[in-house]
Amino acid sequence: MSVTTARPEPAVASAAAGTSRRRRRRRGSGMDRKPRFAVAVTALFFVLLYLPIAAVVVFSFNTKKSLTVFDGWSLQWYRAFFNDRELTHSLGTSLEVAAVAMVGSVVIGAALAFGLVRARSRLGAAANAIMLIPLITPEIVTGVASLMLFKGVYLEPGLATLMIAETTFSISYVTVILRARVAELNPEIEEAAMDLGASRMQAVRLVTLPLMWPAMLSSAILIFTIVFDDFVLAFFTTGVSPQPLSVRIYSAIRFGVQPSINAVGTLMLVASILLIVLALVLPRLLGRHGSGLDLFKS
Amino acid sequence: MSSAKKSDRLWTWLLLPGTLWMSVFFVSALALVVALSFGRTDELGNPRFSNTLENIRGILEWTYLRVIIRSLVYSVSATAICLLISYPVAYVIARHGGRYRNALVALIVIPFFANYLVRMYGWQTLLSDDGVVMKRLRDLGVSSDFHILDTAGAVIGGLVYGYIVFMVLPVYASLQRMDGSLIEAGRDLYGSPLRTFLTVTVPATRAGAYAGIVLVFLPAMGDFISAQLLGGPDNLMIGNLIQDKFFAGQNWPLGAALTMTLMLLLLVCMFAYLRQTARDSREAAR
Repeated sequence: MSVTTARPEPAVASAAAGTSRRRRRRRGSGMDRKPRFAVAVTALFFVLLYLPIAAVVVFSFNTKKSLTVFDGWSLQWYRAFFNDRELTHSLGTSLEVAAVAMVGSVVIGAALAFGLVRARSRLGAAANAIMLIPLITPEIVTGVASLMLFKGVYLEPGLATLMIAETTFSISYVTVILRARVAELNPEIEEAAMDLGASRMQAVRLVTLPLMWPAMLSSAILIFTIVFDDFVLAFFTTGVSPQPLSVRIYSAIRFGVQPSINAVGTLMLVASILLIVLALVLPRLLGRHGSGLDLFKS
Repeated sequence: MSSAKKSDRLWTWLLLPGTLWMSVFFVSALALVVALSFGRTDELGNPRFSNTLENIRGILEWTYLRVIIRSLVYSVSATAICLLISYPVAYVIARHGGRYRNALVALIVIPFFANYLVRMYGWQTLLSDDGVVMKRLRDLGVSSDFHILDTAGAVIGGLVYGYIVFMVLPVYASLQRMDGSLIEAGRDLYGSPLRTFLTVTVPATRAGAYAGIVLVFLPAMGDFISAQLLGGPDNLMIGNLIQDKFFAGQNWPLGAALTMTLMLLLLVCMFAYLRQTARDSREAAR
């Protein structure tokens, strides 16, 4: 890791070295000597962060059924996964739920974000409080509450309850992200468009939405990833038959060694990492297009 | 101005779908939890609303109280360890990361988006008695009586691993925002590196630390996966009890009361946090 390698002391330091035994350096950047202990902690931190992930990935290619002895490389557990009708069905369910929650929460969340930033009514304060509660509620509480609500209105746990619960859970995240973006927008741009003869709808469609697209897209990807990987809420709101992948993985783990879980886990890891990198990079890529209107920003 | 009023009405209308949705599917659901914690089960085991305090009394029995106290101890320890690890890590990245700074932050964030269950499962296989880590330790001469899996340490470690990103990020952000010349000033006044760190850096970045403490403690208290996969039957946390009451145990009112207890504990923590940050910002304004 590049941080851990000590860089050679710059020549400026040698001039100061005469006056100071402690090798203090006065430089504009404020860089002091690398704290060796902290660097060691950081290196260890990164190793431990990736250790279990590496274990899952490596053992997913194992020829043996063992999770402790690596015997040789093979793709048999990936084949086992794709031949398992139940698991592939679960993959479909997870993708479906994530897609629905993504669209639902981005639409509702975007509307909420505009309302929260621009409305001056009393409803705004209430909406703000309601929107923030889920963020400070542990997921297990949300899960229990959703389970009770669905039971209370005699809604059988299944695909519909999963989608509703995951959408509810996601709205807060989308709103927080998009609210920051809406607050950056200058409403005068829209007014300028309307002064030039656009209707309000046209102004929103032609001026505001293009500015919002990158943020909406990256929050959509973010939500898709979170919901696709989510276990706790899914566990409390899913039924028996269409079960999302993470719930299947959970029951498989409880029943003991199953190397195909490593294969599924690896596939999920790769997908999540790709999506997250996309979500981080996309706004920058899109941000260059059509951002000329940002000149209006004060 | 009528056009301004008209547009204000539009923005208010936009608030409605989200507010309604959250009220129906979230706020009312939370209200149900509170209501059912005073409920009972009928002869068939179905939950019924009532006004009994039986569940609250049940929680105060030692079997449950013990688990609640254990959850508090585990979560507080995990939060403290996160804090101890996050400062050096965030400090190195913020002040010595150079042009790799953003890449290193991304490296911390990315595993967090990998499936939590799968990551915990990875630890479970590594730490099990015949797992890779334990085998290395045995080769190094560690006695075979020593176990990692199914201990309190494993559960706390799992919580640290699961939520440390929530501590590193706010601490990193406030270190980044901090004026670096303060640290130099501390060193110029002959403070040792450690002393400068403790008396200058930590107080100047405490807002980030407070935020991190809340962000780690909250999910750690509600976690049940770490205890289940790494802790075994003797290290259960409140989340495991709740899960059990809603599935295997089928005692929803008691489960609801446990959930409400969890919420109350976290509300107290939230309240303390808000008061502290309010006091800090008042002092800063003075």
